[in-house]
Amino acid sequence: MAIARLTSLSYWYPNESTASLRDVNLELDSGLTVVAGPSGGGKSTLLRILNGLVPHFHGGRIAGTAVVAGMNVVNTPTRRLARTVGFVFQDPELQTVYDSVEREVAFGLENIAMPPGDMPARIEEALTSAGAQHLAGRSIRTLSGGERQRVALASALAMRPRIVVLDEPTSQLDPEGSAMVLAAAADLARQGCAVVISEHRLDQLMPLAEALVLVDRGTVRRVEPRHWMPPAPPPMHARSAPSEEEAWSLSGVTAGFGTRVVLENASVAGHVGEVVALTGPNGGGKTTLLRLIAGALEPVAGRVERRAGRIAYLPQNPTALLHRPTLRSEVSLTLARSGEPEQPEVILETLGLLQVANRYPRDLSCGERQRAALAAVLPGRPRLVLLDEPTRGMDASARDALIGLVAKLRDGGSSIVIATHDAGLRSAVADSVLQVAGGRVSRLSAEVAKA
Amino acid sequence: MNARAVAAWSATCLFIVLFTSNPAYKGLVLVAALAALAAGIGLRRMRALLVGVALIAAFAVLLNFVSAHLGTTVLFTLPADIPGVGGPYTLEALTYGVSGGITISAAILAAAPLSLMLEAHQVMDALPSALSRTGAAVAASLNLVPAVAGSFVQVGEAQRLRGWRPRGPRSWAEVIVPVVLTSVEGSIQLAESMEARGFGSGARTSLASIAMRPADWVLVAASAAAASGFIGFRSLGWAADWAPYPTLTIPTIDWRVVALCLLLFTPVALWRSRG
Repeated sequence: MAIARLTSLSYWYPNESTASLRDVNLELDSGLTVVAGPSGGGKSTLLRILNGLVPHFHGGRIAGTAVVAGMNVVNTPTRRLARTVGFVFQDPELQTVYDSVEREVAFGLENIAMPPGDMPARIEEALTSAGAQHLAGRSIRTLSGGERQRVALASALAMRPRIVVLDEPTSQLDPEGSAMVLAAAADLARQGCAVVISEHRLDQLMPLAEALVLVDRGTVRRVEPRHWMPPAPPPMHARSAPSEEEAWSLSGVTAGFGTRVVLENASVAGHVGEVVALTGPNGGGKTTLLRLIAGALEPVAGRVERRAGRIAYLPQNPTALLHRPTLRSEVSLTLARSGEPEQPEVILETLGLLQVANRYPRDLSCGERQRAALAAVLPGRPRLVLLDEPTRGMDASARDALIGLVAKLRDGGSSIVIATHDAGLRSAVADSVLQVAGGRVSRLSAEVAKA
Repeated sequence: MNARAVAAWSATCLFIVLFTSNPAYKGLVLVAALAALAAGIGLRRMRALLVGVALIAAFAVLLNFVSAHLGTTVLFTLPADIPGVGGPYTLEALTYGVSGGITISAAILAAAPLSLMLEAHQVMDALPSALSRTGAAVAASLNLVPAVAGSFVQVGEAQRLRGWRPRGPRSWAEVIVPVVLTSVEGSIQLAESMEARGFGSGARTSLASIAMRPADWVLVAASAAAASGFIGFRSLGWAADWAPYPTLTIPTIDWRVVALCLLLFTPVALWRSRG
């Protein structure tokens, strides 16, 4: 029997005339269900129906019925559904209430007024189920992103839910952290729990999936997982050999914060028309290296040199930059400051954003916001382009747009440095790959970089 | 160390310092707070706090000296037609300003152990059960602070590289507005996450036990004795107030009140091992 059944369900966010979900008929069973589709298509809305955040938290208008574990979602508040449906969100930093692992896992139990004496056993059970028992006793702030997501999963499992929903839980994580969380989710499904997970990168998940739900522009359909085809590899753009002229260089650079050394005696360089990819684990020093090249961080020792000209820098959370009333004015602002004659429409067209040029950037869908941030930072002809994890949380179309833009900038003579965990992006655009780990920077051979 | 015991001591210090105008008793509370904090966290960790407190106190003294042209002992006079600062500058106004500076310093230092010696969740756990939901919400907000600080640095750097330069207060909007918007979005997601884990279901329980140890009871008892004794002594007229205007007088000191204030030094003995 289905654990969740949605019948003729449509949903409109407040002040929206277009339905975000349209006439959805769907049944979910135990096991692993993968929810896929482009950004802005309605995946997150569908998942939030399952625990009642839509409509109870977000408001709006709903039609049709949604029954989860025998409860009518429309009439049951989220705080009551929370005992049956566990939910893990995208960003591990924005779902933490307490600073200790045990307290965080206990948060839901405290909310349902469980006697304190019963909590330790339940916490241990939840940490074990999430593969996070070794994290007991740790402070949350000392955990990596992957470890934090495991604690978030344990926090959801502590309530012994019948359904666990994970909304793009690996989008902010490095490959090791992603593998950690996906393995825990797969284990849960094997143990008989209904696990519903939405993701952009499906390669690791699909072999484990028992059901696949596709969501696109508000429509939802269930398809057989065996019919899923791996996505086409990112587009390859013909490239010419980089120039011999150095665009930036570090000579014997040591950098860090206070007494903590993050990079030690690093000597590397990039050339005009070259795309350099930085790889390595979280906390390895990739962002520090980018900030050194940009001149945002002064080295403790050594010398940093860069050719004169505009620097375009995309930080890890690029959408945080957006603040102008329209997307067009965001792009115009950068162009006006750089004094370049280019029209904003050029980059908006390259990134497929012309139709939303006059909209408020923060009202756009996630994928569009990502591209909007790229458009705000990268118009014109920057001499040096520095991108910090640009594909975090990006769907395939946004990533393809980024790849095209990087190729265009490189061909225009920009020197580009990209810190990324995304192997697809590296193989599509990188001329060389630097490994940044344990404070050391080393150049990888072409074979190792591909692997 | 129990947050409730620390809170009882801090509240007693604040109560005495705010309900007497006698600078001698205020000064005693200030010294007690300084000594307790030094015993609890050590002088090195206090350095930044002391600098901040000294600046705030100096500002309070200056403000009263410049703005209150009352009293009979005139030190010097600025022409009355200078807007804001013109008029006589008196010893009485200076002395009253010093008394105000002592009040502010003592209040800040008395409350400081709650933030410098305890984790945020220890303070929240000490709230009465009726306020536990408020406590959880505050704890969650405090956890967002590092993310907001990180966002401020990141956005500031990125906007600078995008050509932004600080040119007066209005120019900061390009950094502050995105940081605030991102923080609001983060807060909404945190609220969603809390709701999804049953927050707001009704009465809550707490994993953390907040048992009082004997040392905590000693501190509570000393604080209660100091607070109740001070109320009693005031009603008996032993804890006399002080008024510097119109002519400066020396504050009256009653040794029974001084003895009572010495109870506020109890943490020096109890917290010394933490220094």
